[in-house]
Amino acid sequence: MSPAVPQSTVSPAPATSPQIETFKYDNAIVRAFAIATVIWGIVGMSAGLLGAVELFFPGANLNFQFITFGRLRPLHTNAVIFAFVGNGMFMGIYYSLQRLCKARMFSDLISWFHFWGWQAIIVSAAITLPLGMTTSKEYAELEWPIKIAITIVWVAFTINLMGTILKRREKHMYVAIWFYIATALTVAVLHVTNSMVMPAGWFKSYSMYAGVQDALVQWWYGHNAVAFFLTTPYLGMMYYFLPKAANRPVFSYRLSIIHFWALIFVYIWAGPHHLLYTALPDWAQSLGMVFSIMLIAPSWGGMLNGLLTLRGAWDKVRQDPMLKFMVVAVTAYGMATLEGPTLAIKSVNSLSHYTDWTIAHVHTGALGWNGFLTFSVLYWLFPRLYNTKLYSIKLANYHFWIALIGMMFYVVPMYVAGVTEGLMWKQFTPEGFLQYPNFLETVVQVVPMYKLRAIGGTLYIIGAWLMAYNLYRTARSGVFAKDTEAQAVPFRSERAVSERGPHWIHRWLEAKPLTFTALSVLAILIGGMVEIMPMYLVKENVPTISSVKPYTPLEVLGRDIYIREGCVGCHSQMVRPFRSETERYGEYSKAGEFVYDHPFLWGSKRTGPDLHRVGGKYPDAWHYNHLENPRSTSPGSIMPNYPWLLSQKLDTTSLPARIQALRKIGVPYPEGFENGPAQKDLQAQSEKVAANLKLGMITADTNREIIAVIAYLQRLGTDIKAAPPSGTVAPPVSPAAKPNASDSHGQDVRATTTAAK
Amino acid sequence: MIEHVLRDLNGIEIFGIISVLLFFIFFSGMLIWASRLKKSYLASMRELPLDGGEKPSNHPATHE
Repeated sequence: MSPAVPQSTVSPAPATSPQIETFKYDNAIVRAFAIATVIWGIVGMSAGLLGAVELFFPGANLNFQFITFGRLRPLHTNAVIFAFVGNGMFMGIYYSLQRLCKARMFSDLISWFHFWGWQAIIVSAAITLPLGMTTSKEYAELEWPIKIAITIVWVAFTINLMGTILKRREKHMYVAIWFYIATALTVAVLHVTNSMVMPAGWFKSYSMYAGVQDALVQWWYGHNAVAFFLTTPYLGMMYYFLPKAANRPVFSYRLSIIHFWALIFVYIWAGPHHLLYTALPDWAQSLGMVFSIMLIAPSWGGMLNGLLTLRGAWDKVRQDPMLKFMVVAVTAYGMATLEGPTLAIKSVNSLSHYTDWTIAHVHTGALGWNGFLTFSVLYWLFPRLYNTKLYSIKLANYHFWIALIGMMFYVVPMYVAGVTEGLMWKQFTPEGFLQYPNFLETVVQVVPMYKLRAIGGTLYIIGAWLMAYNLYRTARSGVFAKDTEAQAVPFRSERAVSERGPHWIHRWLEAKPLTFTALSVLAILIGGMVEIMPMYLVKENVPTISSVKPYTPLEVLGRDIYIREGCVGCHSQMVRPFRSETERYGEYSKAGEFVYDHPFLWGSKRTGPDLHRVGGKYPDAWHYNHLENPRSTSPGSIMPNYPWLLSQKLDTTSLPARIQALRKIGVPYPEGFENGPAQKDLQAQSEKVAANLKLGMITADTNREIIAVIAYLQRLGTDIKAAPPSGTVAPPVSPAAKPNASDSHGQDVRATTTAAK
Repeated sequence: MIEHVLRDLNGIEIFGIISVLLFFIFFSGMLIWASRLKKSYLASMRELPLDGGEKPSNHPATHE
């Protein structure tokens, strides 16, 4: 079909008509976000590449603490998600929203506040995360002052979005706008809910939630952050830019409507699939699993809608690199959204969870879906913003192929690594012993895959540099149009048309954006409530274990160093109720053991072994030597050295603030404990650790950070080994709250692991 | 020690039933509604992105 004539620019109605309004689209803000997207994309990917190299060459950080893997990983994920995709999303929204609404953005001032505020947040993240200022909760690591700044900037963005929609000249809200509205509102709800913390200083806070509840809130957030930060805004962009590039309308608008409502309604229910085989009630796990599988339908509906838009235009895909990127992006979306539900099946999850399979999965989405779609939009936008042609189609094609090959080199080795890890962890000998009892054997096995992954990442980044050069030359060759003039008839001046039939509901709905927004929020809140309810019920139903006590002052500081160093990025603290795990690590983890864990540190990846039962497993001296140089105790280990823990003085001045903050959120430290007894307790325990080190022929000052870390590690998972005081009996565990207690081989481990009950 | 108030979890399965009911009601309604939308309306909606202003008329853009 022939393209519709752009009413606002090409064929304006007679200028004398009073109904016609002339206005300008703001291109400057779009360009600003576009440039930021390119810059932060390369920065974020480079941080990821350095992290990838450190996983097979642990000395790559040159013993420089600020770029150890534990601190680099959150920097990479935050940079890629919030800086690269975030700016990419705003670029796409600011461009398409103005044109779909036939209106300039609501406020230029807010636009620029949004832009600079967002960049300031990114810079503050780039400074604080390497310094170890982190909450440790994935994709929500930034400390509380930055969280507040995010809230303010996000509110500004939402006002700008809704203001533009309210002053629009186009009566109908195209489906892309629906996705943008869902993004703005849901991310706000998620961010605020998961950011409830108690400050203990300017750059230290403790999650208000503890243990199981914290885990549930975090993964309700984490899962839906993927949905509403990485998916819905990009789907909106797909629905706008794909028809634009193909120069034909979307295949089925009806399908896009179903896609939208089904996706936002179902996605929010599926969060529990991140917590399979934990203390979450079984029914909630099953519900999360079922809804995850249901997600295939809307996701694939959207993917097919995108691909079928290209029917009859596939010849363009051969010629236009922008469309090539778009096709791979949409296909990667389809692959990732088929794989996600597959991984949410409990039996599959028992194999895949904590392995590199998850890393492969998320990078199919990040590199394929978000990356390629961003590249596609950038290639499309730059020539238009600069009124010129793309500098080099050939270079863009090189970028396409090098990025595609890079992506394959990334994800395929990670799939191999993931399945290898999962199988090796679970492998038993015919005699019934673990085939690979030493975790390190499974690590060494996948190191070659880590090397291949780094090659893939390198290729992908080279492609991004090619694009940056291509876009730069494109900009140089053209003239930037700060504004684009357009004309349109405001829809409010049109006479209301009498409408009958079912479609009037839809027209009425989309003509009233606030009503539409309220219904969208209702749709996500229904699922959210069903997911949140068990969180609060779980808090009240965590079976208490009388021998579980709060951490000592020294352990609190040790735990905070563990958080600072990002140990949770490689070590889980959640022994699942599988025989393969109880054989390897010991007693499976109980919900009641985490009641003082603000935040929870269950982790999501085991590059190293689980540490929940590491307490008492090794002498203090072993930990000292291991942290100084892991290869001295574990040849072949890929863990970085932590020499600074041996030399840096433990900061005890912040202890009172930390104890007070923890008490405020429910940890039962006695009043006044922080004013003297805590310091005495800390000193006594430090001397005890130093004395233990002496037994291992190590002389260490009692006031070094490593003393606190050792104290914390030696405490881990040991409480339930202490005999409960006589007369105290832990409340019974409800069947609904019990974790699923069988492993993939059907081995019931509960019969042998009831000591804590 | 924090005193945890234990609540009887009997009947918590109702959450699962409520969830499934909500799901089916929502989707049945949505599918019925979507299936009855007028073709003319849908046709006009899908043209909206093509009715933009991204190409300044005096500057035919790019490699297309």
